[in-house]
Amino acid sequence: MSFSFNQDNTMKIDLIKDRYPEKKALILPLLWLAQKQESYIREDAMQYISEFTQMPYMHVYSVATFYTMFRLQKPEKRVIEVCRTLSCELNGSEEIKKHLESQYSDAFEIIEVECMGACSGAPMCTLDGKYLENLTPGKIDEVLDAN
Amino acid sequence: MKIMIDNTPIECEEDELLIDVMLDNNIHIPHFCYHQDLGADGNCRMCMVEIKGQKRPQIACDTLVKENLEVSTKSENITEIKRSILELELLNHPVDCPICDQAGECKLQDYYMDYGLYESHLSTPKTKKGKHIDLGSNVILDQERCVLCTRCTRFTSDITKTGELGIIGRGDSARVAVAPGRELNNPYAMNVVELCPVGALTSKDFRFKQRVWFLDSTESICHGCSRGCNIHIDYNETKYTNEKIHRFRARRNTQINQSFLCDYGRLSYKVLNESFSGTVSEIKELKALLIMENKLALVSPSMSLQQLQSVKEFSQTYDIDLFSLAYMDESFGDDWLKTNDLSANFRGVKELNINSSKEAFDTSLENAELVINFDHDLLKHQELHNKRVVQFTTSNCDTHYELIFAIANFAHDSGTIINCDGIRQDFYATKYKSETPTLVELLGALV
Amino acid sequence: MQTKIVSKNFDIPLSHTMDVALKNGRYTSLDRLFTYKPQQVIDTIKASGLRGKGGSGAYAGNKWQLASDHHGIKYVVVNADESEPGTFKDRQIISHDPHLLIEGIIAACYAIGSNTAYIYVRGEYEAFSDILQSAIEEAYEKKILGSETKYLVDITIHRGAGAYICGEKSALLESLEGNRGHPRLKPHSLQPEFYFGQPTLVTNVETIASVPFIIENGADAYRAYGTDASPGTLLFSISGNITNPGVYEAEFGVNMLEYIETMGGGVKNGKKLKAVIPGGASTPVLPASMLKDATLDYESLKSLGSALGTGGMIILDEDVSMVKALKNLLRFYHHESCGQCTPCREGTSWVDKTLDKFITKTATQEDLNILRSVSQSMNGKTICVFAPAVSAVIDGFLKHFESEFLECMV
Repeated sequence: MSFSFNQDNTMKIDLIKDRYPEKKALILPLLWLAQKQESYIREDAMQYISEFTQMPYMHVYSVATFYTMFRLQKPEKRVIEVCRTLSCELNGSEEIKKHLESQYSDAFEIIEVECMGACSGAPMCTLDGKYLENLTPGKIDEVLDAN
Repeated sequence: MKIMIDNTPIECEEDELLIDVMLDNNIHIPHFCYHQDLGADGNCRMCMVEIKGQKRPQIACDTLVKENLEVSTKSENITEIKRSILELELLNHPVDCPICDQAGECKLQDYYMDYGLYESHLSTPKTKKGKHIDLGSNVILDQERCVLCTRCTRFTSDITKTGELGIIGRGDSARVAVAPGRELNNPYAMNVVELCPVGALTSKDFRFKQRVWFLDSTESICHGCSRGCNIHIDYNETKYTNEKIHRFRARRNTQINQSFLCDYGRLSYKVLNESFSGTVSEIKELKALLIMENKLALVSPSMSLQQLQSVKEFSQTYDIDLFSLAYMDESFGDDWLKTNDLSANFRGVKELNINSSKEAFDTSLENAELVINFDHDLLKHQELHNKRVVQFTTSNCDTHYELIFAIANFAHDSGTIINCDGIRQDFYATKYKSETPTLVELLGALV
Repeated sequence: MQTKIVSKNFDIPLSHTMDVALKNGRYTSLDRLFTYKPQQVIDTIKASGLRGKGGSGAYAGNKWQLASDHHGIKYVVVNADESEPGTFKDRQIISHDPHLLIEGIIAACYAIGSNTAYIYVRGEYEAFSDILQSAIEEAYEKKILGSETKYLVDITIHRGAGAYICGEKSALLESLEGNRGHPRLKPHSLQPEFYFGQPTLVTNVETIASVPFIIENGADAYRAYGTDASPGTLLFSISGNITNPGVYEAEFGVNMLEYIETMGGGVKNGKKLKAVIPGGASTPVLPASMLKDATLDYESLKSLGSALGTGGMIILDEDVSMVKALKNLLRFYHHESCGQCTPCREGTSWVDKTLDKFITKTATQEDLNILRSVSQSMNGKTICVFAPAVSAVIDGFLKHFESEFLECMV
């Protein structure tokens, strides 16, 4: 079935579409809405965005591949992102990553990411984008089992 | 005004780009991403020069010339910078030279010979990317060879505005690509092969056929339509074959085609390798036919002024009704280089007052007993019944004829043509003497 | 030691809501703001010596003047792309006192003659961006933003999607225009930034959040804090091997080691301090031995061969391997290079791969030479300051901790 934005998102788009001097600027917000709606960015979603913003398809595709947070493949499992940058590494992010990979890699997709701006809560990870800080293996077990 | 480049005064205009001034004055300045017809992008960093009064080296493609500018391209500092930038460009470059078609006209090779010649310091694995990807339109992409100069992506986004090519990924995994499931598809696609300074984009048509250092080149004009884009004909003659034309390359002309050709024109070199392969008639046989009444001649509008003049004189001498009909195709022309008129010299036909009326031609054809066709497509492929037909042809002819004469095509017969805007241009034959006589020579025996 | 100008309301419960914000002084500066002519506002900011708090330390007043002087429709773009490792201060403003940010944006728009502002928030900060969005909606409802106000200001949040380079102001504008985040070539004369060709002021969150105080209390009141050359305060972030990691606002000029003890609670687990990366990952590391008289301001750290940057201190204790620390940072830069220009794209990849040989203790003298020479190739020869920062980071580690690298060589 060809992609279209659902009613909620269509309303959101209506609210923002006149706030930029050119339609082209809507590419990033539209990619986000498309990803949120379908859990990843579908090819036909990018085609829709290409037509909406009057930019070549390749341009939209090229922009989508530039940014780390955009997913162009359907995720099989829920995503856990573990921060691996300096402050987290100094506070034991390696141990957290190993714990996650050994215990939870069947149920979750474990990805390494760069500094998330949560250095005072190091080591940290996200679950479905939500920040989980001050982690210990025990705390991880608590949160993931509850979820 | 004057500026100094390596202690030599150079004339230029205020606010010209420094790199343009250098290129126009044949001052060697290495560069990948700058192109005189695409503009600057400033990403390759090869064109760095030292400017007196500036702390850091500047890129020449982003520097506007001002009065009293002093530029140095040969200082120790700049030489070292060129070497180090080149080393970084070559760092992840695959060792493909032995099979890469770009060899011999590759900027990386050229600059390495000029500024490189260093020991390799690489002791870590090279980055791997896609190789021999068929993009469509006769273009093959090798992402590992690419230096990400963005000439090709800028061509499809800014010039053809078709937007097929782009960069995907980020950092050292950035690579040129078409979107999945899509292809390069526009009438000017093959220009990216010429634009690419390295072997990342190569022509499928030319692939593995010839090393460029065996090619000779002649300056010519494309005969595909009335635009008259300037070309180089690249050819060579090998030991056991006749001379072969391998490709057309664009020749820069700021008035007509800049550095570009359309794909149709670019590939029209193939017809130049065809020639008539049957038995030719003798010119005295034609002379015998010329005593007939009601003679009609049709001449191709792609012939040169010299050929047209010769045909006109011949027709006048022998009282032959002479016509030339335009090759029109309303679907061919576009808003850039391609014109609806597919003949190379219809303006020349007009200048020589050769009759181009289709109605008059049809009437004359009805009554004609002898029809002489000077390489016009119409009568090379259309059977004429109850008429005696003489063909002067550059290639094979599949209709019946009584007499046939092979004539040299525009690769072997220099001349002059006038393009759609009235610009008169000369084209030159290859250096090898063709066995086929030229039209002017043949007709010369008759007038 | 903690001074609370920007962070005054952070600990008040529900400080991000309009009701609580209004009760605690938010938007009071607007009354005074509109009694000034726009140029007077700019002059006040200049007089205060307010310096950009996103890492550059450039004088805000001068940037405002540049944008104001250019003709055309103007834009204010707030850089909330905070991605510098070790920096997490703008997050506090966005989530705990978003109305302070809105108040500051109104002032900036009024001063330079703009009616449209965008806040570019890094994609990962989704939860905080939602709080900011609620605050903006509250401001529209309260007729503080929008057309039925004394001065029209529209604010739109624009989310990034995970690219550190989009914190570079020209790359941010490219991203805001709907392109890949490729930094632009720098102009040869003094110019403002341009968004779709229109003059634009790009400013850091904390810089803008400092403006209401200056408007309300005057330039001199701001200058009363900090030093002559670095007036005011900064939300310093501290993390790494530290007992109480967090964001603690302080005047410029406080002693760094004292700050680490008093605000940070000293090195964690009673370990000895080995080194500090003073201003977010892109500033050269300084060994503890050099820090005795170091003060938290732009001049002091510059004189020590480093920089204040974003004021995000990363504390490294005696057990830290400097080789591993450098590897961590180079891996970050390798991942975040935009790939546009040759020295950075190839250089960041090469040094990262070369560091692996040090990690596996198979490095040679040649590898050490590579680190040094590639660092030089990346310095001053690229489109933006990303590569020079990497170069400075490598040089800093090699200058002060070369022995640890030599130990990893065969």
